[in-house]
Amino acid sequence: MLPCIEARHLTLTFKPKNRDRVTALQGFDLQVSKGEFLSLVGPSGCGKSTFLNVLLGLLKPDSGELNLNGKQIDGPGPERAMVFQEFGLLPWRTVLANVELGLELKGVAPSIRRDRALELIKLVGLENFQSHYPHELSGGMKQRVGLARALATEPEVLLMDEPFAALDAQTRDLMQAELLQVWERTKKTVLFVTHSIEEAAYLSDRVVIMTARPGRMKNILNIDLPRPRDYEMRLTPEFNDIKAKIWNTLKDELGAKAAGNGI
Amino acid sequence: MNGITNFYREREQAILGGGFILLLILIWQAVPALISLPRGLALFFTTPVEVVKSFYQLVVKNQIQSHVYVSAVEFVVGLGMAILVGLPLGLVMGRSKIIDAMLDPFVTAFNATPRLVFLPLLILWLGIGIWSKITIVFVGALFPLLINTYEGVKNVDRVLVNVVRSFGASEWQTMKVVVLPNSVPYVVVGLRLAIGRALLGVVVGEFFASSRGLGFMIAGAATNYKVDVVFVGVTIFMGLSLALTHLVKRLESRLSRWRPDEVKTF
Amino acid sequence: MNSVQRRPAMAFKSFLSDHQRLLLGTVSVIGVIFLWELAFTYVIPLDPFFFTKPSLIAAAFREQLVSGSLWHDLAISSEAFFLGFGLAVIVGIPIGIFMGWRRRAEYTLDPFFTALYASPLVALAPLLIVVFGVGLTGKVALIFLLAVFPFIFNVFAGVKCTDRLLVNVVRSFGGTEKQIYFKVILPSILPYIVAGARIAIGRAIVGILVTEFYAASEGIGFAISRFGDTYRLPDMFAAIMVLMIMAVMLTEGLRKLETFLAPWKAGQEAR
Repeated sequence: MLPCIEARHLTLTFKPKNRDRVTALQGFDLQVSKGEFLSLVGPSGCGKSTFLNVLLGLLKPDSGELNLNGKQIDGPGPERAMVFQEFGLLPWRTVLANVELGLELKGVAPSIRRDRALELIKLVGLENFQSHYPHELSGGMKQRVGLARALATEPEVLLMDEPFAALDAQTRDLMQAELLQVWERTKKTVLFVTHSIEEAAYLSDRVVIMTARPGRMKNILNIDLPRPRDYEMRLTPEFNDIKAKIWNTLKDELGAKAAGNGI
Repeated sequence: MNGITNFYREREQAILGGGFILLLILIWQAVPALISLPRGLALFFTTPVEVVKSFYQLVVKNQIQSHVYVSAVEFVVGLGMAILVGLPLGLVMGRSKIIDAMLDPFVTAFNATPRLVFLPLLILWLGIGIWSKITIVFVGALFPLLINTYEGVKNVDRVLVNVVRSFGASEWQTMKVVVLPNSVPYVVVGLRLAIGRALLGVVVGEFFASSRGLGFMIAGAATNYKVDVVFVGVTIFMGLSLALTHLVKRLESRLSRWRPDEVKTF
Repeated sequence: MNSVQRRPAMAFKSFLSDHQRLLLGTVSVIGVIFLWELAFTYVIPLDPFFFTKPSLIAAAFREQLVSGSLWHDLAISSEAFFLGFGLAVIVGIPIGIFMGWRRRAEYTLDPFFTALYASPLVALAPLLIVVFGVGLTGKVALIFLLAVFPFIFNVFAGVKCTDRLLVNVVRSFGGTEKQIYFKVILPSILPYIVAGARIAIGRAIVGILVTEFYAASEGIGFAISRFGDTYRLPDMFAAIMVLMIMAVMLTEGLRKLETFLAPWKAGQEAR
């Protein structure tokens, strides 16, 4: 079966101001199947967010191939949407207007996009807040708006860049459960970047562990836990084994990164 | 007793502030009655009551209306031109790094220099007709508008631009959906500052290059020791300035309903 | 640390991109001067009663420099400037602190000062000149009036913004009022004082110019006005540019100082 997303030998460098050029990704390979929930974990700066941005079409790789359904990715497109860590809601727009944003930019008629937006607002449980402004919402609610907005344009692929990192622990747990519910209902391909091993293991079908900068795929683990998953699964020994496996692969990279930084 | 304390507590700000101003006016009015002024100073002294009387006289004798009209025209036209030029230019400078870099030395130099320094030159070029004043008003009001628009456009949140670009927005759409709404509060602040500068331009322009207008009236009155008329003019300017600033501040708060924080600028 | 050996060509290229803004700005200014000179030398006939060109301005500038008239004019104007400005600093800062520290003081004084600050106080210039005459006193009075308010309001804002947490920290270590004042408040308001100074400079220069245009026999404002009356355009442009350069140096210098004192404050909105 043709992989939904295929990255071959992706390399990307960039030059920060007043510093030497940095290699974010080096010969990165990955294949993602349709409908899969895939997490990327790795040390800070290993290029996982960079990869997501290349997938989104906001960054261009220096070399290598990145294909979606067999076609080269060449800029942003309607099949992909991102949920941002910092939420990225337009503060001067209500929740409803924010969710409509993607559809509005594509020129969808007002009545159609309004209905679609309301559907999604219901899906994420914010029906009573459609006329609120972002600054009136909690972090978890803001991210639900972000999720609704990303889903509004009906993308095939959902890119999530540490979406729950800015939330407190309890909200985070709640949001993870909600995300899984939404995913089961909408059947998108999800690429999820996170620092949390537990989060990656809990949510995903597979977990990609990346090396320290320059980023490459170090290992992929299959998460063979049954779905739908619930909170109690996190307390089982099987879950701990999975976490231990991820950690063992990851810790060498963390050590390598620390050594590289002269810590 | 309790009622009075509560009344005071609720309106403490207004009572203290307003009371102070009232006190100053009363003291001012009372000075000639309290101390006998030396002959020289008595010539220059006026009281609030006399100022009000003068104002009434000027209005009744229709001596002030034409001045007000001239000053108003200079203000409105000059400010209008500054808005028409400053906003688009600020937008372009904010979005284009190259244009920004090329214009920046000039903007910085002209912004740091009081526009007043160009007045003799403007008089040379445009004479003492209405256009030299309009130009001074224009140049004075231009820079706050230009610079604040520029800042508003530049300070747009990177994340928001990425969000919109990720939906495939063109440059024009990005402007419309993110950059422009984000810069509105900045532009309004610029407008508030520009109004102050514009009024200044009217006053100063009319001191030196005029045969009409409120500033001219003030200058002429001063030379003729008609201090009460001077204060009529000054008070009118003061009142206009306060009224306009208040209006713009109201506009600012209406447009900033979505902002959780307070933006304080001088 | 690996350092890469750069060839001179690569180093030059990265210098270009790193300093892009500065270079573009310089090119732009030089370009304008160049085009100005060329335009009026070869393309447009120069009417000496209306316009002038850079070469003539430079010559006039040199002449003023050599003859000492420039220094003399600047000295006269500076005297009034520093006196008025200094007075504004001495009076404005304490008032600002007083208003910021005591709520009652703020309530009482704020409306009055706001009304004054918002008004074009320059409108009083003719009156001040008539009362005090054409000498130093009138100038200083006007400059003081114009320059004092930025200090009052910026220091006021700075005191109000002082982190109460820091005050409590010092108090919790048993600090006295005086120690709080010197260790917390003064350092906190330093960037605000500098911001106030930056705004006050422009207003003070306006004060100088207004009084010197109106009724003076010396000073740089008077010089500009006189050159205009006698149609000596190159001299006029030269004097204007001297003033511009000084204003820019003072303002940008203070801006740099502000950033140095408070690197955590990104661009302010009002300039």
